[in-house]
Amino acid sequence: MGTRILAVEDDERIRTAVKLALEEEGWIIEEAETGELALEHFHRNPADVVLIDIMLPGIDGFEVCRSIRRTSDVPIVMVTARVDTHDVVAGLEAGADDYLTKPFAPKELSARIRALLRRARTPDHAAGSTLRFGDLELVPDQGMVRVSGREVHLTKTEFRLLCELASSPGRVFSREVLLERVWGYGYFGDGRLVDVHVRRLRTKVESDPANPRHVATVRGLGYKLQG
Amino acid sequence: MTVTDLAVPDGVSPAARARGVLLGGRPARRLGIRARITLSFGLGALLLSTILAATTYTLTRSNLVDARERNVVRQTYLNARQVLQTLPREPETMRDLLASLQTPTGSNPIVFQDGTAFPLQPIQFGEDALLPELRRVVLTDGLPALMRYDLDGVPQLAVGIPLAVPDVDAAYFEIVDLSETEATLRALGLSLLGAAALTTIAGAALGWWASRRALRPLADVSEAAEAIAGGRLDTRLAAIDDPDLGTLATSFNDMAQALQERIERDARFASDVSHELRSPLMTMAAAVSVLDGQREGLEERGQQALDLVTAEIDRFRQLVEDLLEMSRYDAGAVRLQPEDIRLAEFVLQAVGASGYRDVPIELDADLAGVVVVADKRRLARVVANLLDNAAKYGEGATAVSIRNAEGVVQLAVEDLGPGVPEDERQLIFDRFNRGGLSGRRGSSEGVGLGLALVAEHVRLHGGTVWVEDRIDGRDGARFVVELPTDDAG
Repeated sequence: MGTRILAVEDDERIRTAVKLALEEEGWIIEEAETGELALEHFHRNPADVVLIDIMLPGIDGFEVCRSIRRTSDVPIVMVTARVDTHDVVAGLEAGADDYLTKPFAPKELSARIRALLRRARTPDHAAGSTLRFGDLELVPDQGMVRVSGREVHLTKTEFRLLCELASSPGRVFSREVLLERVWGYGYFGDGRLVDVHVRRLRTKVESDPANPRHVATVRGLGYKLQG
Repeated sequence: MTVTDLAVPDGVSPAARARGVLLGGRPARRLGIRARITLSFGLGALLLSTILAATTYTLTRSNLVDARERNVVRQTYLNARQVLQTLPREPETMRDLLASLQTPTGSNPIVFQDGTAFPLQPIQFGEDALLPELRRVVLTDGLPALMRYDLDGVPQLAVGIPLAVPDVDAAYFEIVDLSETEATLRALGLSLLGAAALTTIAGAALGWWASRRALRPLADVSEAAEAIAGGRLDTRLAAIDDPDLGTLATSFNDMAQALQERIERDARFASDVSHELRSPLMTMAAAVSVLDGQREGLEERGQQALDLVTAEIDRFRQLVEDLLEMSRYDAGAVRLQPEDIRLAEFVLQAVGASGYRDVPIELDADLAGVVVVADKRRLARVVANLLDNAAKYGEGATAVSIRNAEGVVQLAVEDLGPGVPEDERQLIFDRFNRGGLSGRRGSSEGVGLGLALVAEHVRLHGGTVWVEDRIDGRDGARFVVELPTDDAG
């Protein structure tokens, strides 16, 4: 069975065209016209990827995103109208994994989805084992993260970001490298993706997210993971 | 005020034309209103104080001289009576008599007895000190007389009184030196002159101050107008608490308000339209990609048509994005996402991503560590747009080069096209201005926003952009972007 994508878009013509184009690319598309319908549909029948337009009548895209995030780690792609405003950051903070700006090329969307569906990179030496960084434990094979023995739930992208950092503890990863390895972007990827995801990760794995112990910022260079 | 029509060279933008006409309304070399008010006040004060001083001087002078004259005459009569009682007497004792007389300062009493003059002080000039007319009137006609005259530039007053002494031909004279009075008058004249000068200066100062005060609201208005022209549309004048000028502030603010609303409405309109265009574009982009997937199944004519639509949708999308970016600039809503960028790496990436990856890149050796703080994606648009421009109007870029200079880096894109004439080098960065080249090159090329966006992006990065001749002297254009470098980097 193929990968199922739930596309939430109120404009019927766009919905139809995107559905046709994505089906050409081999995905299975399920449609929802409003946020309410999307949530109902998702809870009944969770998709593998969700595509949400921010501008929706009724509850907006941010709210749909937050609702889904309460119960699911499914990859979410936001469709925004503008790159510049805080829409992008707000969407990422609501739990989206990536974003696209309207109008986008369907091939670009396919590439984004494929990148988000990639499996977490398991550090070679850590197959089947548990990695420990102080009170932070990471079991790559099981996709499990524990802080002080208590399991925390990460989204798939947060988990892949953590695994990437854990693949070489103490090494500084630049935004460009993380964008490429986690999101599949080139040089011109949006560094805010990394920044917001690191922020989200910290609220989950740090006891004091304002003074992170594990996911450290190296000014002007990037991020690193430490014990 | 007459409007002089200035000759505006062809190719000057309408705005410059309008400015030219407005400037032409002011005749050259005319004094400003403040200078004119100051001058009027000064001249008025000068006239008034001169009249006052002259009147004062004239009146004082005649009063002073008259009083002195009366004094001298009265004293002379008193002395004459005293002399009369003692005449005739021996010439040897005449001096004692004269010395005993009470005479005003600067006075020289003279007694005439039987044709001989007996002065108290020796008269250097002899008897002629008494002018012949005076002697004649007093001695011959036997009448008292008074005469004023100058002796060697010193004013003199001479009073003569015939003395009725039996059998003796006698008269009494007094010659008074009036130089003291003249000195007083001169001092007065000087003081009056000084006062007049001071009054004139004070008048001019008053005029200057008053005009400044009166014109201050105008200065405020001009400052506010400049601020508005500079883009700060929310500039307003503080209310002027003056019945004559209050309406100025009110109507100026009304005008500014109307202007701001109108400009914002226009900007919003452009932004709204562009946003509205996104939805149909999205549909078209998705639909055409479906068709593109089935391209092989189409006949050749169908494929050609499909390629056209695909290319046009791409251009359309670029236009909408450019328009949106431009309206963001108009609304002042552009927020850069500044990052430390290693320039050498950036340029390689930007050229690689631009669709002109074959253009050679020339890097200075000392660029390795050069870092600029910039919005990566906007700066990449600058590079891409310059390459686009070279492809459309310059027969393709021949090189992208970067040079490191003191505190700045210069990124240059060169082509071997016809170049840009001097008078178009500013205009070329205006919106929808394709310069004189558009006619020859076919107007369907480009959308005319590329270079305008380049200018806006570079400006927001604190840099400058210009176009010049190629350095090697061949035909062609050289677009240069100059950006400040991060000193710490």
